[in-house]
Amino acid sequence: MIQLLRIELFKIFKRPRTYISFGIVTAITFVIQLAMLSDGKSFVGFALQGVSEQFDIHGNIMNGYLIAYIILQSLLIHIPLLVALVAGDALAGEAGMGTLRLMLTKPVSRRKLVLVKFAGSFIYTVLLIIWLAVVALFLSIALFGKGDMINLKSDAFVMVLQDDIMWRYGAAFLFATLAMTTIASMSLLLSAFADNSIGPIVSTMGIVVVLTILSNLELPLFAVIKPYLFTTHMIGWKGFFDDPVPYAAIWRSAIVLCAYTVFFVTVTVLYFNKKDIKS
Amino acid sequence: MRRISVLFVIVFCCFAFTASAVDAQKLFGDLRTKVLQVKDYTAEVKMKINVSYMRIPQLGGTLYFKSPDKMRLERHGGLSILPKKNINLTLSNLIPTGNVSVIDAGTATILGKTVRILKVIPEDEQSEIVLAKIWVEEGSLLALRTQTTTRNEGTILMDLEYSKYAEYGLPDKVTIYMDLKDYKLPKGVTMDYDDLAPAKAAKEPVNKKGNIQISYLSYVINKGLSDGVFKVKE
Repeated sequence: MIQLLRIELFKIFKRPRTYISFGIVTAITFVIQLAMLSDGKSFVGFALQGVSEQFDIHGNIMNGYLIAYIILQSLLIHIPLLVALVAGDALAGEAGMGTLRLMLTKPVSRRKLVLVKFAGSFIYTVLLIIWLAVVALFLSIALFGKGDMINLKSDAFVMVLQDDIMWRYGAAFLFATLAMTTIASMSLLLSAFADNSIGPIVSTMGIVVVLTILSNLELPLFAVIKPYLFTTHMIGWKGFFDDPVPYAAIWRSAIVLCAYTVFFVTVTVLYFNKKDIKS
Repeated sequence: MRRISVLFVIVFCCFAFTASAVDAQKLFGDLRTKVLQVKDYTAEVKMKINVSYMRIPQLGGTLYFKSPDKMRLERHGGLSILPKKNINLTLSNLIPTGNVSVIDAGTATILGKTVRILKVIPEDEQSEIVLAKIWVEEGSLLALRTQTTTRNEGTILMDLEYSKYAEYGLPDKVTIYMDLKDYKLPKGVTMDYDDLAPAKAAKEPVNKKGNIQISYLSYVINKGLSDGVFKVKE
């Protein structure tokens, strides 16, 4: 199993396109940081106009913690695409290249193969989130400095003191890893259905976009299904920046995401076990 | 004889009213003198903002004040949040200056203490303060509550508690009550993480009143403060 995983990781990180994701994360982060450096004050002024009518807020509002939060929020849609680039390619890419059938001639069970593909995608996801933490959080702190962090909700102005922030980011990145693992597992399932990697990648994005829209639409029609959509729970990382932290809701979201991940991987194993491999 | 009696009563009432007015005028004058003796101070403070839409932990910092109208909260690297017209946090700016008319409005009880209520009307028509109502404890010459109606900032209600710095008329704890405006941002912009619990919280009426409590831990009084201290660093 370990040997298989090593081979899988070698394949993932030998492909140049794997590093495109890291480049894209870096580029988006730089663009947002540059925008905030040049025009951050007007952005903050606009965001705070509801509060600044009654209160004067002074100090380093536009600090690294706030910038990292803005970056994480804006990457909500992009990171699933980057995860799908690898997870969606895991089985379908092999099928497309004609190497899947060859692999299965080796004395390796299909279940093991799927689990190794999932583990490879998971490790890639973890590395991507770690890289995101490095460029979004630590680079932002280096560029913008530290300070208390403000978090604007639709009905509340939350302020987190600077010596109370880092653990929240640690927990948020862990939660983001869980959310992206769910995406990786879904993408792997779609990959099992396809014989080329474009389909699973595009399908993953399509599902994420549609479900994200449903999760954010404030219509009674969708209120019933919202708690069951994994996209509703993917933003659970934001809960760590609330006061008080809604631990019960975060746990609930984590359980939903874990359940989806187990479901997707199980279905992938079951389907792949019976799949007629033609290439 | 009856006419003389009526005249006597009228004269007595006028005299009593005048004496009371003079008394109230003197009480206010003494209070104002006491409050205005503080030209500047530096105070270590703890501040709690109780506003329905703000979730802010207790903030600690150093509050600088320089007469007549400079005030700044320094939070040693953190964000400083003060009410928009933060100068109203200090008593000396809620007590009218210049010539004023003082009306004795009777007595009341605050925290078990009997206080005189003074209504103070500035004679200067351009004064920012239109009317000040001050609850004064005569024995200690301390204002325990003020209600100041201003030209542009509405009415400001403030409760004051004294202890160590009572001789300067400086409070140990101040509670400022304020009316709140609505706060709402589109959910599509903030993309809130909801706990998906039954939406009972949304139906609860929003409290339109808030208050800010400032506890003064220590003061350094009348040691001189340069104007540079009050320059805002962004």
